[in-house]
Amino acid sequence: MIGLEIHCQLTNLESKLFCSCKANYREFATNANVCPVCIGLPGTLPRLNQKAVEKAITIALALNCQTPKKIGFFRKNYFYPDLPKNFQITQLNLYGPTSIGEKGKISIENKDIRIRRIQLEEDPGRLIYEGASERTQITLVDYNRAGTPLVEIVTEPDFENPRQVRLFLSILSDLLENLGVSDPTLEGAMRADANVSVGNGPRVEVKNINSFYDLEKAIHFELTRQESLGSRDIPISQETRHWDDKRKITIASRSKEEDEDYRYILEGDIPWVVLDSQSVEKWKKNMPESISSKRERYVRDYGMPAQVADVLSSDKYYSDLFEQSHIKANAKEIANIITTDLMGLVDTREKREQSKLTPKHLSDLVELVSSGKVTRTSAKSALQEIVKTGKSVSEIVSQTGLGKISDKSDLGKIIDEVIKEEPVAVQQAKENPQTINYLVGKVMQKTKGKADPAITLKIFKDKISS
Amino acid sequence: MIHLVTKEDIEHIAKLMRIEIDDVSEYFEKIQKVLNYFDSLDKADIESEEIHVQEVSVNELRDDKYIPFESKLISNLKSNKESFVRAPKMN
Amino acid sequence: MSLAVSANEYIENVKNGSISVEEFTAKTLEQISKHDSGLHAYLSINDNALDQARKIDKKIKAKEKVGAFYGMPISIKDNICIKGGKTTCASKMLQDFVAPYDATVVSKLKSQDAILIGKTNLDEFAMGVTTEFSAFGPSRNPWNQDYVPGGSSGGSAVSVSALECIASLGSDTGGSVRNPASFCSIVGLKPTYGLVSRYGLVSYANSIEQIGPLGRRVEDVALVLNHIAGKDQNDSTTVDRSNIDYLSGIDAGIKGKKIGIISEMSKGEGLDKNVENAFFKSVSAFEGLGAKIEETSLDLVKFTVAAYYVLTTAEAGSNLSRYDNLRYGYDLDLEGYEFKSYISKARRNFGPEVTRRMILGGFVPSAGFAGKYLLKALKVKSKLKKEIAKAFAKFDFLISPTVPILPFKFGEKMDDPLAMYLADINTITANLTGVPAISVPFEIHNGLPIGIQIHANTLQERELLQAAYALQSTTKLPGAPL
Repeated sequence: MIGLEIHCQLTNLESKLFCSCKANYREFATNANVCPVCIGLPGTLPRLNQKAVEKAITIALALNCQTPKKIGFFRKNYFYPDLPKNFQITQLNLYGPTSIGEKGKISIENKDIRIRRIQLEEDPGRLIYEGASERTQITLVDYNRAGTPLVEIVTEPDFENPRQVRLFLSILSDLLENLGVSDPTLEGAMRADANVSVGNGPRVEVKNINSFYDLEKAIHFELTRQESLGSRDIPISQETRHWDDKRKITIASRSKEEDEDYRYILEGDIPWVVLDSQSVEKWKKNMPESISSKRERYVRDYGMPAQVADVLSSDKYYSDLFEQSHIKANAKEIANIITTDLMGLVDTREKREQSKLTPKHLSDLVELVSSGKVTRTSAKSALQEIVKTGKSVSEIVSQTGLGKISDKSDLGKIIDEVIKEEPVAVQQAKENPQTINYLVGKVMQKTKGKADPAITLKIFKDKISS
Repeated sequence: MIHLVTKEDIEHIAKLMRIEIDDVSEYFEKIQKVLNYFDSLDKADIESEEIHVQEVSVNELRDDKYIPFESKLISNLKSNKESFVRAPKMN
Repeated sequence: MSLAVSANEYIENVKNGSISVEEFTAKTLEQISKHDSGLHAYLSINDNALDQARKIDKKIKAKEKVGAFYGMPISIKDNICIKGGKTTCASKMLQDFVAPYDATVVSKLKSQDAILIGKTNLDEFAMGVTTEFSAFGPSRNPWNQDYVPGGSSGGSAVSVSALECIASLGSDTGGSVRNPASFCSIVGLKPTYGLVSRYGLVSYANSIEQIGPLGRRVEDVALVLNHIAGKDQNDSTTVDRSNIDYLSGIDAGIKGKKIGIISEMSKGEGLDKNVENAFFKSVSAFEGLGAKIEETSLDLVKFTVAAYYVLTTAEAGSNLSRYDNLRYGYDLDLEGYEFKSYISKARRNFGPEVTRRMILGGFVPSAGFAGKYLLKALKVKSKLKKEIAKAFAKFDFLISPTVPILPFKFGEKMDDPLAMYLADINTITANLTGVPAISVPFEIHNGLPIGIQIHANTLQERELLQAAYALQSTTKLPGAPL
């Protein structure tokens, strides 16, 4: 049995959870994104970010959770260099339900993964090890990240294998991106810990996992370790283990369990926030359409094949592009072009940031393809140019002569060239008409994809049979 | 019922609170006395009480705006003037 | 012009030119240098006070707009941050800490041209009732320098009582403004929880404490409250003050008002006979002013000290966790330490009382004990709030002696923390319930001051100040014998 504890930063917010420093700390020089509140100077007090509450509630709703009437905060007290106050402001259901959400679920394949609890909390700072990490005794602390808004999602131990974990995280990732609360591709934006047990054995927590790839490996290792112990009748201790990234194993945590007494108390500086039904309804209404809803709509309203609808709906970048560029008539073509030709050109965050493609480009291009002026193959190379330069479709067509070659005499000349160059293939084609496609392919090569394939084929057929 | 707190308990808690005490006996009596006094709360008739916490509405919360703090902070707080904060490593 | 003026007298005299701000500031500084080496009210003095005074005089001369205080000297307890100056909380832990920002109340006073003349002494991190726990030496009661001035805002009370300023800002968590006010024969107010911003007040027990003004006259305290009260966006626990002018109608009197004597605080073996006698005289005084007096009971008072120390030690334990000497504090080299041992070594700079409370504060919310103590204390707090609300449905004010005992000598209570904690028994209820309460000087017995405490319902400061003003009008007490 496997359960997950996922931490997701609300990177789309402007400011931190309890102060007005920037939520996305990644571009700042060391300790340049701090203020008296987030470094916990004496006398400072936290101020809760309204949008963070809104976004967290939408996550809870998207995960089918129950949300409380009031939300409250607590202090988790422990000493650590990355924790400026030596406590973390977080949520707990200590005096009734006061965390952002509970008892939700996400469906993966044909299984439901239950969400135990969702809570809003602050991220600590970051530790950097000076010089060679083994020998140095000093840690350097950068508080730029301290106070960044985090949503922690705790699942029930419903996963049966690492593959389900991977699937879940992918769905969750897409869901959070689609909600507009976070960009999961940002470094450190989504982190996960696992708890693993076999049979009725004790739960072992695995922490310090830095990527989803490692998470799978860690779970796999831990399952194997526990199964091996079990088969030799060696008892498994309930403990916290750390993932050792270098050796790719889990090791028993050196900090003793008894140290983990967090002495939870109410956070007295933040009153409980009443979530009135009006506000919650307003937030619900403003939530973007869910991925599953989009997928259904694409199939139902545009007759898109399921696979295409899947790809389009689960990636916000693509679905946004689709929404803005299509009309009912060309929807299928646009969807097609996005999910085949465009994909390789904008499959990373960097590529997307640099891309100069606009929805108008897509609709113009698809218009030309549908009206027969440009071949699909030409369109693909045009896309490359558009993404790189942003030039308008008409500019590119005239500049690079991407127009389809449909003129019979133009085509005829090229076809004659090919017939001359490929006597063996021509002979084959006479005997076996199927192999004409090879010759058509040669014409496409020579014309850089601009030849109209249907007309080319017809001319070939005529010439060869004569 | 007198609650029996031991010297080990006090040492354990002191460690948790990162408080170093040279002589537990010095603190033991006084702390035990106070903790025993806390036991008097057992006599209060409060079983059915709900705890009360101050409330605010969502609309009173802070706007999500980025406002940078206007001056250098970390390097001005300690004498070492660096931009990183240095801490001893955790073993 | 005497230093023993009220705020209004001072302001009038500056306005009509009888005295300049510079003159009065210089006289105040002289008084401090004359008496403070003995009294030790102050931990630091504002080096720019005279400069600031001159600037205000210039503004007055040029007929420019001048703030409400006209350069009035106000002292600030050293657990409230003033930008650019030391805020030590009377602790070695923060002996070198210079705050990079102003507390909200400080900004407000500055914007009204108050001169913040110095930072006053306190029990370390506001934990104590005598200032004996200050890491820099105690303050002395100007009425008799062998006696404690009360605490934790002892320095504030001494500075006002000894004419070293006109008013002061202290902080009150369990009586820390009212107790020293009573011991030094001055007025001290704990406002409703949330009325005054805590932004910039170094937290000790954040769900209970409030910054409160001290002064020689009730109307001086009302004037300061007028300028520090109000919702602050930097403090989410603040509430709206509804534009109330705390000075208006302050002399309205209390004819026909119903006053309840809190019996648990006004009789019994813990109460000094002399304090009891003084209290009954005050009851007659209230009756003479036209109020109707009755006895009433707040049954849960007997649990308040235990509940209070459970809650405050737990909060203090958490609030003081940040003092690990890494980001600010004092110079202690990291060399040769591992993380846990460095922090523990650094925190040896806490004094014995703070150390005790850190340990208690570790016990209370810890896994084995939280349900036992913390939850119970929170429930007592809730029930007490309901109990006092019921009392206020019947009464306009609730009264008691401020402190059940007379001021005592240095060292008398140092060996028994519990005995010290019990000195707060009359004042703690107002903190636990959040209602406002004020101590008004009433009698001097064998040279030692006795104060009377009045409570009003939540956000009824205006009415409370009227009652305090009325009581004040029945006495004519001398100033401290300096």
